[in-house]
Amino acid sequence: MKRHLQTIFVLFLLISSVSILSAFSGVEKSGIESKSLKFPYKQAGLTERQATAHLLGRFTYGATPGEIDEVLKIGLEKWFDKQLEANSPNDSLNTALAPYEALTKDNKEIFNTYLDGGQIRKRAMKEGLIPQDSTGRIEYKERKGLVDSFMKANGYKPEGELIRQLVNQKIVRAAYSNNQLQEIMTSFWFNHFNVSLTKNECIRFVPCYERDVIRPNSLGKFGDLLLATAKSPAMLTYLDNFRSVASDNNVNSEAGAKRLRELYAQQLRLNQNGDTGMQYKDIANKIKGFKNSQGLNENYAREIMELHTLGVDGGYTQADVTNAAKVLTGWTIFPMNDEYGGTQVRKMIEKVGEEKLKEQGFVHEGDFMFAVNKHDKTEKVVLGNTFSAKGGMEEGLKLIDMLAHHKSTAHFICKKLAARFVSDNPPASLVDKMAQTFMDKDGDIKKVLLTMVNAPEFWSKQALREKIKSPFELTISTVRALNAKVAQPYQLANWINKMGERIYYYQAPTGFPDRAQYWINSGSLLNRMNFGLALSSKRIPGVTFDLTALNNNHEPESAEAALRVYCKLLMPERNVDETVKRLIPLINDPLIHNKIDAAATKTESTLAPATMMSEDNMMMTTSNTDNKKANEVLREKFNRKKAPDYTITQLQANAGTNTMLSQVTGIIIGSPEFQRR
Amino acid sequence: MSTRRGFIKSTGALALFAAGIGGVPGFIARAANSNKIIPPYKKNKKLVCIFQRGAMDGLMAVTPFTDEFLKAARPTLFMSAAKGTSNTPLIDLDGRFGLHPSMKSFEPLFREKRLGIVHAVGSPNNTRSHFDAQDYMESGTPFNKGTNTGWLNRAVGLLGHESSSPFQAVSITSSLPKAFYGDNAALAINNLQDFAIQMRGNPMAANMAAKSFEDLYDQTSSSLLNKTGKESFDAVKMLKKADTKNYKPANGAVYPDNQIGNSLKQIAQLIKMDVGLEVAFTECGGWDTHYNQGTETGQFSRNVADLSNAISAFWKDLSAYQDEVTLMTMTEFGRTVKQNGTAGTDHGRGSCLFVLGNDVNGGKVHGNMPILSKENLEDGRDVPVTTDFRSVFSEVADAHLKINDDKVLFPEWDGKKIGVMRG
Repeated sequence: MKRHLQTIFVLFLLISSVSILSAFSGVEKSGIESKSLKFPYKQAGLTERQATAHLLGRFTYGATPGEIDEVLKIGLEKWFDKQLEANSPNDSLNTALAPYEALTKDNKEIFNTYLDGGQIRKRAMKEGLIPQDSTGRIEYKERKGLVDSFMKANGYKPEGELIRQLVNQKIVRAAYSNNQLQEIMTSFWFNHFNVSLTKNECIRFVPCYERDVIRPNSLGKFGDLLLATAKSPAMLTYLDNFRSVASDNNVNSEAGAKRLRELYAQQLRLNQNGDTGMQYKDIANKIKGFKNSQGLNENYAREIMELHTLGVDGGYTQADVTNAAKVLTGWTIFPMNDEYGGTQVRKMIEKVGEEKLKEQGFVHEGDFMFAVNKHDKTEKVVLGNTFSAKGGMEEGLKLIDMLAHHKSTAHFICKKLAARFVSDNPPASLVDKMAQTFMDKDGDIKKVLLTMVNAPEFWSKQALREKIKSPFELTISTVRALNAKVAQPYQLANWINKMGERIYYYQAPTGFPDRAQYWINSGSLLNRMNFGLALSSKRIPGVTFDLTALNNNHEPESAEAALRVYCKLLMPERNVDETVKRLIPLINDPLIHNKIDAAATKTESTLAPATMMSEDNMMMTTSNTDNKKANEVLREKFNRKKAPDYTITQLQANAGTNTMLSQVTGIIIGSPEFQRR
Repeated sequence: MSTRRGFIKSTGALALFAAGIGGVPGFIARAANSNKIIPPYKKNKKLVCIFQRGAMDGLMAVTPFTDEFLKAARPTLFMSAAKGTSNTPLIDLDGRFGLHPSMKSFEPLFREKRLGIVHAVGSPNNTRSHFDAQDYMESGTPFNKGTNTGWLNRAVGLLGHESSSPFQAVSITSSLPKAFYGDNAALAINNLQDFAIQMRGNPMAANMAAKSFEDLYDQTSSSLLNKTGKESFDAVKMLKKADTKNYKPANGAVYPDNQIGNSLKQIAQLIKMDVGLEVAFTECGGWDTHYNQGTETGQFSRNVADLSNAISAFWKDLSAYQDEVTLMTMTEFGRTVKQNGTAGTDHGRGSCLFVLGNDVNGGKVHGNMPILSKENLEDGRDVPVTTDFRSVFSEVADAHLKINDDKVLFPEWDGKKIGVMRG
């Protein structure tokens, strides 16, 4: 067997060196590829099995039963290569995702299909289905009936449905994709280039953002990824750039402000004279138009430097931010329909013709539009580079290219990657190596990851089990470790939310901090333990698994045996002696405990309803994040059947292996060791 | 530290496992239960801090409405205090500053001189990054990124008495804020009702699981998990005795049903439960108004209404405890004097904050707000920071919590005060 493996390995060495050489003809010899093809874990004192467990802990959402052996069979390096290629077939995943119809739609289709309540009402009113003037007076039932049939007739669906599918698919992909690293990188980059469902205007663009902008570029070149995000409707709306325009004829300009003051004065005069006729209305309209006129918005320009590329200490000034904002004026969205000025754009294109517009510097690529008429044509200086007057879209391209290849960017991005995969405070020596690769290889993310995993720092004792799982990682790693089937992913999303990670709803453009201290606090820790107990006792609807099947259908003879076996199954290659030692006295004799506690249980159970939260309450603990919309989604979307109440007698009757096993499993999932990866 | 743990082990622990689970002999448990323990912390003062994340536009919350430069810089955002210009003009506080009309519930508190305002306050570090500025304000060291403790955690360490309660410092947030990072124990609780090991319909199993978890977290080599585990279980035991679900605010106080309302309600609950709370923290978001900020109505107006209504309800609810409580708001920076091109405001510098309490020098707008002509502005665009946030924070903490070591609370700072607190 060993010899066999070695042969495979030698073959792999040959193949991979050939492929690397052919892929990078003329690459210097000292590159990482030729230096070290075997990951340096032996030097760190790890066995191959331990190394595999570490590798799976970092580059998957958690090992599935038997996965360590599978990786050993292929070889660690080859397995990693396959993960970088991210082209393993995913048939069962695709089957699981098939019912999610929103996932195959493009931005325009989604934009015109999934509408929130207000948008639907607006459209229904426009078509005269709901009377314009007495909307509030119609009976709720009647209006609902009208709206429902209106939606059906037009194929409209509630926006909440879109959100549900988005959240669900993330959970399903993370749990079941064979290209685990691709999912992790997608999540990493999404979080790096965060957009959020808390911003209404960007909600409907988020699914395509993840699918078309992030995932395909997640293991590609950083510069491509950066540019793709810059042009995406999700980012353009989330950080306001779509409405940032040159500000010469705006209330912000001196002339504009003066004009507005004059209008106000006229309005006031007419008002004092009691004249509210045509002239008054005309002035009121002019004022309104002025208020809606737009100008420069610095939001995206700041964050692209601070958060996406250079880092806050990357060496830029407030003047750089303002000038970068000017460079990016006119980068906007091609209208998705006739709303929000869409008609104007459509008419303009019809009148002038796309070809003519192109000659003038107008750019239309898919959902992206560069509106040259909104672009600031003055000279700007950003980071010492001059953008001469009268430029167009190429200015933004130049800026983005400059930022993508900046030394500060290499360092900032690599530090973040190392924090994701190695430790919260990664060693500077490692970050430097990665940043060097980033600079040498044109921001090639695969190459940067290879440098990382080939560095001794990745395998060092300081890195092992050093990362604390985020709530999402904890949840998915549990699903994977138990080989669980998830029929209602949103149930898990509720728990993930409760543990402190409301996926897709992080409001700030920083994304979730990737730091144990952020995730671990008293409240969230108790919820992690409660999650373990709820899941293992099958109180999370739509999540099913078979504990005895995990152990080849052997039922452990005692609680102690269960503890030992399931610790090993759920946390392979970990030293669990201390965990077992601590728990044995407690669980050794559950039946005796039952008797001892019978009286106590009775008195306590009368208190139970008051102190324990019902499952429905759990569903709604988003109450603290006052997003009513999401709550409505939850309420609407889950006709959950109530989990049965366990009565004491039932429990005692079941007090055999099943209860014991699930209790042990719950404690393992909630244990400190299982929080680490 | 050991004293504190010792107390917990001899009270809370027994209360939880009084039924005999976990090997505590029943007679000890009964003895502990029969001994009613009088909490020693009833008279301690409480400081409540609210972080307004996203940078509140101080110029719209408390407008220097006589400033012609501001009026010119904000053609559509400027609001007037003159009656008749709008259905809801600014509330004229002193002839120069006007309170946003949606904060009308603050007016009586201001007139009673319990509510003080500090304007043009902020950080001496001129970063306009939300995230850096928030970190600096929470660490209390605006020029040192490496600080790994928060000023409120240091304040807890300076209270001058050993705490006997895990609830000494509580943040009603889903994660622990940086202001609470540090050596002293601090809890983050999103929802008091969640704060227990729960197994539906099976408290026996829940108790056993709780004991198991407690043992496991006690032995783990991860110091973060170990410390947090200890703090959690200490707190769970104390909370177990309280009815957290059926809370009725006193005095007819009605909290708005939103994040800040619920958070302040829970802080009021903890104060009334006498569990030893001394420093509380919570936060609210939505202040980053780059677009369509609104005036009498709209985004900003809703935010300040939520905040002020929640604080007013909190104050009403705590009418019997008002002498013990001081509340202070903070935000990482202000917003540009000029409105931007999208009817909003971009990142600026100075903003304002509110301090509420019976020992506050209230009814005044403190600080130094210059005329907002271009040459007076910081970098030609922003309200200059004329009051260092540390001078307010330290004065409030010193006066209310009787802390007298500002060198530890705010290292590298000269300790200038502005008189926002009385006496």
